[in-house]
Amino acid sequence: MTRRLALFVGGAAVAGIAGVMAFGAPSRAQQAGPAVADSIASTYLAASDTADLRGPRQPIFFRHDLHAGQFKMQCQYCHYSVNVSPEPGIPSVETCMGCHAIVAGSDSGGRAEIRKLRQAWSEKKPIEWVRVHFLPRHVHFPHQVHVGAMGPNACATCHGDVSRMPQVFKVNNVNNMGWCISCHVERQVTRDCTACHY
Amino acid sequence: MTTSAPELPDFAPKLRLTQSHADVTRDVVATLQTPSRGYYMLLFGAVALFLVGLLTFLVLVKDGLGHAGYNPPVMWSVYITTFVFWVGIGHAGTLISAILFLFRSPWRTAVYRATEAMTVFAVMTAGLFPIIHIGRQWIFYWLLPYPNARYLWPNFKSPLIWDVFAISTYLTVSTLFLIFGLIPDVAAVRDRVKGWRKFIYGQLSLGWQGTDTQWRHYSRAYLYMAALATPLVLSVHSVVSWDFASSIVPGWHGTIFAPYFVAGAIYSGIGMVLTLLIPLRKALRIEHMITDYHFDNLSKLTLLTGTILFYAYAMEYFVAWYSGNTFEQTTFFRRAFGPMWWAGWTMIICNAFVSQLLWFRKIRTNLTSLFVISIFINIGMWFERYVIIVSSLSNDYVPWAWDNMNPTWADWGILAGSFGWFGMYFLLFARTFPIVAIQEIKEMIPMPRRRAGGGHH
Amino acid sequence: MADEGPTQTLDRRKFLTVLGVTGGGAVALSGCSTSKVEKLVPYLVQSEDQVPGVPTWYASTCTECAGGCGVHVKTREGRAIKLEGNPDHPVNRGKLCSRGQASLQGLYNPGRIKSPMLRSGDSFAEISWDDAIARLATEVNKAAGRVAVLSGAGPGTFSDLLADWTSAAGGTMVRWEPIGHEPIRAASRAVFGIDEVPSHNFADARYIVSFGADFLDGWLSPMEDQRGFAASHGFDGDSARFVSFSPRRDLTGLNADEWHAVAPGSEALVALAMANVIGGAGAAGGSLSAYTPEAVAAQAGIPAASIVRVARAFAAARPSLAVAGGAGNQTRGAVELATAVHILNSVAGNVGRTVLFGSGPTLGDGYEGLARLMGAMDANQVGLLLVHDANPVYALPKSAGFAQRLAKVPFKVCTSLYLDETAAACDLLLPNHHALERWDDARPRPGVVGLMQPVMEPVFQTRHTGDVLLQASQKAGGALARFSAPSYETHLKDAWRSRATGDFDTFWIEALARGGIYPDASADGGSAAATASAPAAGTPALTAALPAFDGDGEFVLAPYPHPFLHDGRGSNRPWLLENPDPVTKLTWHSWIELSTATAERLDIRRGEIVRLISPHGELEAPAFPYPGLHDDVIAAPLGFGHTQYGQFAKDRGTNPLDLVGPPGNATFIPYVSTRVRLEKTGRFKELATTEGNPRQLGRGIAEAMPLDAARRGLTVRQAYIEAGHGKHEINTELEMEAIQGWRDETIEARKLGNYATEHPAWGMAIDLSRCTGCSACVTACYAENNIPTVGEDDVIRGREMTWIRIERYWEDPAPAAHGALDEAGGEHAAEGVTHGHPEARFIPMLCQHCENAPCEPVCPVYAAYHTADGLNGQVYNRCVGTRYCSNNCPYKVRYFNWYKYNERSWPEPLHLQLNPDVTVRGRGVMEKCTFCVQRIRGAQHQARVENRALRDGEFTTACAQACPSDAIVFGDMRDPDSRVAQIRSNPRGYHVLEDTNVRPAVTYLAKVLHPAEA
Repeated sequence: MTRRLALFVGGAAVAGIAGVMAFGAPSRAQQAGPAVADSIASTYLAASDTADLRGPRQPIFFRHDLHAGQFKMQCQYCHYSVNVSPEPGIPSVETCMGCHAIVAGSDSGGRAEIRKLRQAWSEKKPIEWVRVHFLPRHVHFPHQVHVGAMGPNACATCHGDVSRMPQVFKVNNVNNMGWCISCHVERQVTRDCTACHY
Repeated sequence: MTTSAPELPDFAPKLRLTQSHADVTRDVVATLQTPSRGYYMLLFGAVALFLVGLLTFLVLVKDGLGHAGYNPPVMWSVYITTFVFWVGIGHAGTLISAILFLFRSPWRTAVYRATEAMTVFAVMTAGLFPIIHIGRQWIFYWLLPYPNARYLWPNFKSPLIWDVFAISTYLTVSTLFLIFGLIPDVAAVRDRVKGWRKFIYGQLSLGWQGTDTQWRHYSRAYLYMAALATPLVLSVHSVVSWDFASSIVPGWHGTIFAPYFVAGAIYSGIGMVLTLLIPLRKALRIEHMITDYHFDNLSKLTLLTGTILFYAYAMEYFVAWYSGNTFEQTTFFRRAFGPMWWAGWTMIICNAFVSQLLWFRKIRTNLTSLFVISIFINIGMWFERYVIIVSSLSNDYVPWAWDNMNPTWADWGILAGSFGWFGMYFLLFARTFPIVAIQEIKEMIPMPRRRAGGGHH
Repeated sequence: MADEGPTQTLDRRKFLTVLGVTGGGAVALSGCSTSKVEKLVPYLVQSEDQVPGVPTWYASTCTECAGGCGVHVKTREGRAIKLEGNPDHPVNRGKLCSRGQASLQGLYNPGRIKSPMLRSGDSFAEISWDDAIARLATEVNKAAGRVAVLSGAGPGTFSDLLADWTSAAGGTMVRWEPIGHEPIRAASRAVFGIDEVPSHNFADARYIVSFGADFLDGWLSPMEDQRGFAASHGFDGDSARFVSFSPRRDLTGLNADEWHAVAPGSEALVALAMANVIGGAGAAGGSLSAYTPEAVAAQAGIPAASIVRVARAFAAARPSLAVAGGAGNQTRGAVELATAVHILNSVAGNVGRTVLFGSGPTLGDGYEGLARLMGAMDANQVGLLLVHDANPVYALPKSAGFAQRLAKVPFKVCTSLYLDETAAACDLLLPNHHALERWDDARPRPGVVGLMQPVMEPVFQTRHTGDVLLQASQKAGGALARFSAPSYETHLKDAWRSRATGDFDTFWIEALARGGIYPDASADGGSAAATASAPAAGTPALTAALPAFDGDGEFVLAPYPHPFLHDGRGSNRPWLLENPDPVTKLTWHSWIELSTATAERLDIRRGEIVRLISPHGELEAPAFPYPGLHDDVIAAPLGFGHTQYGQFAKDRGTNPLDLVGPPGNATFIPYVSTRVRLEKTGRFKELATTEGNPRQLGRGIAEAMPLDAARRGLTVRQAYIEAGHGKHEINTELEMEAIQGWRDETIEARKLGNYATEHPAWGMAIDLSRCTGCSACVTACYAENNIPTVGEDDVIRGREMTWIRIERYWEDPAPAAHGALDEAGGEHAAEGVTHGHPEARFIPMLCQHCENAPCEPVCPVYAAYHTADGLNGQVYNRCVGTRYCSNNCPYKVRYFNWYKYNERSWPEPLHLQLNPDVTVRGRGVMEKCTFCVQRIRGAQHQARVENRALRDGEFTTACAQACPSDAIVFGDMRDPDSRVAQIRSNPRGYHVLEDTNVRPAVTYLAKVLHPAEA
């Protein structure tokens, strides 16, 4: 029970910030890096503008660049089990609703997407996100250990700077063993096969 | 044209060639003309067998190796047996073509082309088995050392890796040697055929004109090639033997394995040479070129290697007894009196005993008996490997794990396929290239003395 | 954990539909699985007790037998993946037998009934639950007081409800277990006037005598008894002697230090003769005078001297323990046998010390009750029969005629989970939840109440029979209307309120967390604390004589419960079918055993199919000549020959009960009551056995040493030398030099890369004096490591995948001669034909993780290699399948995927059992024991996150965790304080095949042999 309560409280707080920031968005966007400047010119991108974005199109156009970028939400807020479990944890719809029960979105497009979310919630249908990063079945990648060992920008090391991605795409070929091993060699950590393969 | 009976080169009183250079070329090239029905039937049979093997292989790739008779602890059986068998076959070819060339033993000339071809195709066949027998055939290339992002290399400690190198080297060298030896003959053929064939033989003869310079360089190079090929006869099968000798399996873990296997290889190789040549010379009507004399010599070689094998077998048992090692003792006891006694005795009788018949000249020169013996040798040598592999694996250290295996259709299918694959190439070769070395036969014939109006050549 | 909110459960179901997202195990190994796009489906509402990637444990109670062990259920992403014992539970102390672990395959069994069904003609049609319940209600009303209920459910709130409900419906309920130990109860009534089966304290017994009690094959309370036996018989400074009098040597008998093949039915006489020797003819009211050893010896077929000797030793050792009454010895004289043994125990003064009343298992009405029910069925007094958790059509001898009687009942309802023989004969099928899906409790014995809770969403559209009854009651109204609880869950809670101390909710949650309420397990290895009095023995009228047998055949047929399949309820679970029977090592098919002497006399070979003919029927089965059998007996396991019960059990083998006569007016089923004739058919079957050559050929694999040598702390070799064997030098000077050279090299190699830094060295110690060969470790390994079951055909070709296997060697009473050729596997040795009474040696054989592993250098691709922490690593995805490693493995513990076992071994929904932490191996790769590397890495990761070092015993391998005898210990050998390091220094310690210098990481402690008594 307590956990669920916390979600709502925390959610409300974030929601507040979100509301403020949403209006201040355009101005802030000018300072944003050129690579993504126009991509976050407005808090919402019409499907036409997003056609050239990399990565798979998700059932809901969730914007990491807003949540993680502008609103500075911690990755762990949604990916709740990343530092206790091998699995990072995909946020439950309930987690989203923690904020979006209150936050309806600042413009038409945003509202449209959030409506999808609320619909899923009312229909008790989980959202089927398209998977972007994943490893073969015979590889075991313990997130909790890597997050612990690599500190603050652990996530970005493999997933890239998600906070600047309107739509998440695969920056690094993480399901290629070369990617893992080069990093392990560089950092002089274990190269034992059974560290990952068992 | 007529030629007075030429004086023979005194080093080879037996080689009485009565015809002229021209005749030789004619006879040999004749072997390349329209084939007989028998030939086509043989070829058809070979291709059919090959298809059987191919089909079996596809099933194995689809479902897994389970179809074969593997019965743990027997994790290797018919496929590795056949692999070693074919590698062994190859060796006689190189021995005859390279080593006997260096030893200047003239009787090889008539047969070496055929045996060399046999070598190449035997090794080609053997090369398939490491791929066929592994569990995930589609990633066999992981056995090769190639740079990759995963920092992964093959394990150079593993005899199986040595195998990869041994076999590929052997295939390369023996192929080059064969092609090289063919050049002058291909040229000879080129000069006798028309149309597209002329073009192809032309290409293959690499612009051979038979000039003195060419001859000088050619014979030098050939010598070096021979020298290069010679050590392989010993090295390749030694390496193959280490697949077994370097393990700790009782019955494999023996220091005599390398010489033992090399002798066995040559023995089996010559067995196969006999099996192939005896019918071939008839089929190609070249009895006057490949004579009793050749077979007599081949038989002597067989007798020699066969006797070495006999010694090796005896030594294996002696060492097992003398070592006082219970594991060795049990293995060899069961090899002779265990559930696989029949295989064990087949190997000993076919190899150790049958070969001893060749002490008798009558048998050596009687082609029928020789042919029968050669068949025995082939069977015996296949079983030698079968016994070494299967019977040793079926009863090693932990008695609880002991078990016997029975081959299934999948085993026989691949075995048959390998013979088809080999026969197919050999038959095609026999029709496409001179199966007897024209030039070297000619060297046997002394230059006819010039006379007014003397024939030309 | 306790809170199962409706939304949450809903989401669990949703989640189950998209398993495989995180359930890595559920998908086969394939190098290129990365290419396909997948969906990530999160929880709708994050349940509070589930973190993806981290297992959640629930406490529950095992329902596979009357023992009532406490279990911990491991769940991942909302599905149960493994069962382990509950360490706090007094009955099993964290241990669990094969049958208990295989309960998981009962949960995910493809043979389960997926929804309510109604008979239409010869088949069944699916119906809705509302429809089904309505029908039940109307039928109950229609039956109007002629309702009968047959239930196998152990005592608990549910069976109370059921009984209550039945009487309200105006009917009678019978609680019946096929193997119900009725004779022992009858004997207790006769001797002590207590209607109870005692519990036994094996741990304290210094001398154990069994008259066919199969307490290591699952008798009264398997885990408790085995644990106690290991404590007393396992060597720890001393070891209790165990003598067995029985026509057949079952697994229990194979663990005996002394076995006497007595004539079937004569056990009672022997027991009385012993009592006579101990107490003198005057004991037990002088009723023993008739039973002098001399008089008995003739009938039992054993020398009087040995009866006297055992009796004296039995009396001298205090306390001692005599047990009797396994189903495999249940002749018509079973009650007399149990009576005799009660008397023997009271004469020897064991009652109250090792024989405890007041703490025994609570059993049902026994066959008497069933007989009453069948009488009522004959008299057409049953209008509606509800069969719950029982399969009488299969478990009774055909001759008992239950099926015919059942046919006479107008309406038959069955709540079985599976379509078994009884269900197939019923009209309405109301499939119950599996024990892991439902709320329930069990009272296996006074003072212990186990709780069960749903650990996951139901796999199928089943419904808790409790809920069904309650809902039907509401529909039916009338007297049933008073069953008004909204759900069985609430009913259960209400029933528990009386037990609550203080606030109920806290109490309830604590109870759930503990898996019930029970006295705290005391430290000693003894049985659950029982406040047992020592009742005085009465003077029953003794009428022990050789019992009668039907028919005039040459042999007495002795059907016995299969250690895994028990009475047949286990035969739908691949684990139990493939895990070889510990005694015969046969799998997947039925067989009949006859003594090796008999086999030679009749020239019957191993695997020869023979026909058994009794007055009541006949069957054909392959023969297995077995050295541990009385020459006049033919034994056959129960559990095969199902005609229904799902794809795994159906039409598999034959059922010896077809030959057994009707119990008649007996109060129990006399399994051993028929004589049979034997005919040869001349046909053969290749037995699906895992046994190669059952002789050690003096290779010192399963070592043993005399008791006194062990007492004096000698090593195995010293003991050998004492026994007059040559001083067996393991290596010559030269070899030692070479070995030293190799040692130096390895030490050099340790300075490189990964190997440079300090690492643990994982190792294992296995005490053969504790190992009983029960094979629970094997099942645990199957469960933990996603090991495929390969099926009968591939077992015949030796392709079983048991990463850990139990080898069972025969040793002649005289220590086996050294040297090989004397016994070098002449075929008759390989057939396991040994004369006399060979000693059985069990040894668990698994990858020894050799420091100098022969499998490693020969792998061309480094798929087999040595890890820095001393594991012999096997990288499946690197393996190309040359199989050289297996050829070069002296222990032959590497297993190859010959076919796509990963696709065929887990038919839906069995694949849900797969452990997501372990890769499912694809076709064409080699696999083997990994020392549960996934557990090692898991623990290391956890320690990393908590920034601490690993603690000894913080985790262990699956086999060590399961071992009911505590024979297996795992840990870090480099830590001198670790348990494994200490045990490895035990003088009894040795390595298998030490001569090969592979330096195994597994140390065995030699078995301890009791000398022949003078």
